[in-house]
Amino acid sequence: MSAFINDQLVAVLPRLRRFARGLTGSAVEADDLVQAACERALARAHQFQAGTRFDSWMFRIVQTVWIDQLRARDTRRTESEDEALAAGTDEPMRRVEARLALREVQAAIATLPAEQRLALLLVTVEGLSYKEAAEVAEVPVGTIMSRLARARMALLAKLGGDALRGSAEDAKAE
Amino acid sequence: MRRPSDENLIAYLDGELDESETLAIAEALARDDELRARAQRLDAGARLIRVAYDDILREAVPERLIAAARGERGLTMLRRAMARLARWRRALGERPWWIGVPVAASLVGLMIGGGVGYLAGTQQIASLTAQQDLVTAGAGVNWLDNVAGYHKLFVKAGSNDRALMDVPADGNGDAARKAGLPPDFRLPNLKPWSLQFQGARLLVINGQPATQLFYTTDNQSLGPLTFVEAMSSKPDLAPTFDRRDDLNILYWRHHGHAYALVGTADIGYLWNIYNDIAWQLDAI
Repeated sequence: MSAFINDQLVAVLPRLRRFARGLTGSAVEADDLVQAACERALARAHQFQAGTRFDSWMFRIVQTVWIDQLRARDTRRTESEDEALAAGTDEPMRRVEARLALREVQAAIATLPAEQRLALLLVTVEGLSYKEAAEVAEVPVGTIMSRLARARMALLAKLGGDALRGSAEDAKAE
Repeated sequence: MRRPSDENLIAYLDGELDESETLAIAEALARDDELRARAQRLDAGARLIRVAYDDILREAVPERLIAAARGERGLTMLRRAMARLARWRRALGERPWWIGVPVAASLVGLMIGGGVGYLAGTQQIASLTAQQDLVTAGAGVNWLDNVAGYHKLFVKAGSNDRALMDVPADGNGDAARKAGLPPDFRLPNLKPWSLQFQGARLLVINGQPATQLFYTTDNQSLGPLTFVEAMSSKPDLAPTFDRRDDLNILYWRHHGHAYALVGTADIGYLWNIYNDIAWQLDAI
């Protein structure tokens, strides 16, 4: 069982990093979060139920650790990437238009309320069904549905229809 | 017929509706241009959201995360590092058979063949030496990054996550021995600084075993603080100051050990605590 968990963990690391990056808005904080989640998962490996989705189990642990961390410390971020992005800093990536659009999307997502961001990342980025996302977030399916809708509509408003259409085409081309 | 809600429209795009609901929205989209345009913008937005995080999947995963996923914080990683060193030593010590060719060649007067063989052998050794130098040089830079990263992990975990502790604060000698702490390990007493020992973790940082000690305090201008002690083959180094993000780091090497004090505390505090620790470790 332990070797199985280790192998599954290594395999899912890139997706956990992506999920954590979306939650925290910071590369450094995301990796710290993933590391803590891995250690917690190994300490509680016996709780994983064979036959269920391993990635969903890990997403739940990541979000639990994240919430614990938010509660355990002052949540004020010092140098988080999303603040820098929201402030419009002169990062080199700004030179590349398509990349800029993607960063703007990340920055817009970072401004969403945490519960909406969680629903958006689980369903739209990680591809979980509403039911699976509801199990990870430990809320009813209807709650996921409404949080997701609010998040998607907020992003639509933030990014704007025309810009969004162009960005989607750029991203697709890239 | 009323327009479908945003929730239903998005659920339709996500394929989450049942057959009758799907059919109803498809019919609405067919006759309502404005609704169709809205659905297209939402669909484009979803694609953009997915693409926005794709680069992360292509990034190299940091070694510390792979180690964490493998549960290799302790002796396993050390064994792996030692095995890697042993392989290098073997590679340097056991020359390939063709390195002997120059000697044999010179004996029979085949100087050209000898020259080629000698050069090949020299390049092989130089390559391995360069590889070791590269690893050593990289370790110097990454060591402080790792030390800072582990400090942040400790601070974020708070006092609730005991899974991060190898030796709890109330651990006695038995607990310490079970956790594999060296028998001659000394625990610096920092109570005069109002720093309370919270526990320790056993780590391998850049292939060397290390112990990370956690201290907390009510004094906001001082703590929390971590003290790292690791093995080192490098020469002694006087206390040196460095920073990682908002963290101050004071590090030094002494008699085969590398030490680091990490925290947000003012550098003046760290210097004084360093003096205290150095005195305690030397005095014992």
